[in-house]
Amino acid sequence: MTMRVISLNVNGTDHSVQVGPLDRLIDVLRDQLGFKSVKEGCSTGDCGICAVMVDGKLVNSCLMLASQCDGRRVLTLEGLVNDLSMKRLQGSFIANNAAQCGFCTPAMLMASWDLARHKADPSEDEIKVAISGILCRCTGYYQIIDSVREGCKRGTT
Amino acid sequence: MELYSPPDLGGALRFIEHEDKHVTVIASGTDLIPRIRKRQVAPSILLDISSFKEDLRYIRQSGGVTRLGALTTVADLQESPVLDGRLSIVREAAELFGAPQIRNVATVGGNICSASSSEDLIPVFMVLGAQLKLLSAKGARTVPLTDFLVGKRETSMSPSEILAEISFEPPAGHSWTAYEKMGRRNMLIIALVNEALSLTMEDDLLTIHSARLALNRVTGKIPAMAVRTSEFLNGRKATDETIAEAQKVLAAELALTGDFRASASYRTELAQAYLKRLIQRCHRKIEGSS
Repeated sequence: MTMRVISLNVNGTDHSVQVGPLDRLIDVLRDQLGFKSVKEGCSTGDCGICAVMVDGKLVNSCLMLASQCDGRRVLTLEGLVNDLSMKRLQGSFIANNAAQCGFCTPAMLMASWDLARHKADPSEDEIKVAISGILCRCTGYYQIIDSVREGCKRGTT
Repeated sequence: MELYSPPDLGGALRFIEHEDKHVTVIASGTDLIPRIRKRQVAPSILLDISSFKEDLRYIRQSGGVTRLGALTTVADLQESPVLDGRLSIVREAAELFGAPQIRNVATVGGNICSASSSEDLIPVFMVLGAQLKLLSAKGARTVPLTDFLVGKRETSMSPSEILAEISFEPPAGHSWTAYEKMGRRNMLIIALVNEALSLTMEDDLLTIHSARLALNRVTGKIPAMAVRTSEFLNGRKATDETIAEAQKVLAAELALTGDFRASASYRTELAQAYLKRLIQRCHRKIEGSS
């Protein structure tokens, strides 16, 4: 097994990491770089809990080899803690009790943030599609849908 | 296991030209990575082609032919203005595929080369009569998709070839295409049944000129054309009686096996119901646009 060095920009900072052929993006983000908002759920692409942005697209970090991300830009929840849109979403999630166990919350927030970038006032159907790839095992989704609708509205806090 | 990431497509083709060892091509990896981790496959060498986007990621239309580069993502299909009218079936299937995070990376070529009964796009490309362009260091050849799939996860591609392009033409005349998919939940699901129909009517708009029906799990574990059902429909009037007869032909033609996702009888009923819905959807659309 040959290790290789890849360069990865995570949340605006360049990193050089050594990876094996089967190391996935999630392995590097969590275990080597310490971005623990990225959760590992099913590891098979069924739950979407490991969602991050790669080059501006929402992806499952368990379904991507780290080597395939060489030279690419990754964004995790840690990189958005000071982002106004993310702050609004987080406030709305708290106000609407959208987090119960909290395990899916980082991924739900990433998917919602991605939606908010494109839609200031998404419909319920658009919200459902945006979070459709993320499995929540506790809340029953409607608290999350309400939170996303409120959180996407610009000018609210 | 080794991972080889050549700088360009030419390098990849040269790498597999004389490679005796078993090389597995990885595109986005949404299907392959979990299968490796579950030890369903154990490739000794992975050839990563995911970076060849300049060569293999495009949607082009010229001379009535639509060409998709093998690395075109499912999200690219969803967003393409080219895939409208009689080709909107492709976008329809893309919208029901996986979930946003999967669609952003999963590739058209990967879906075809995975060659299992759960690949959503295969029945769609089948009814469109898709042709596949395979590249090797020696040159290119074109094969019909229906000849490409030979068994579950088995294709007629040689180890020295890479799928480069999928091409198809919309059906001519009074035609429409439609797609249905049923899973146990709306998203992120492996289909119990997915079924695609291309329907062409005679000038009277009542008689079926030709039908092309494809669905997964016809005789075995791969998607295939329902040839007998399609032939049964040809030349008949699109009436309730014809549809009811065609449903019987389909049930006889499908050699379904049940599995942990659904029983054979449930799948058969679903496939029959979808046949009716697809014929009616296409017929209404043809009448409305003629």
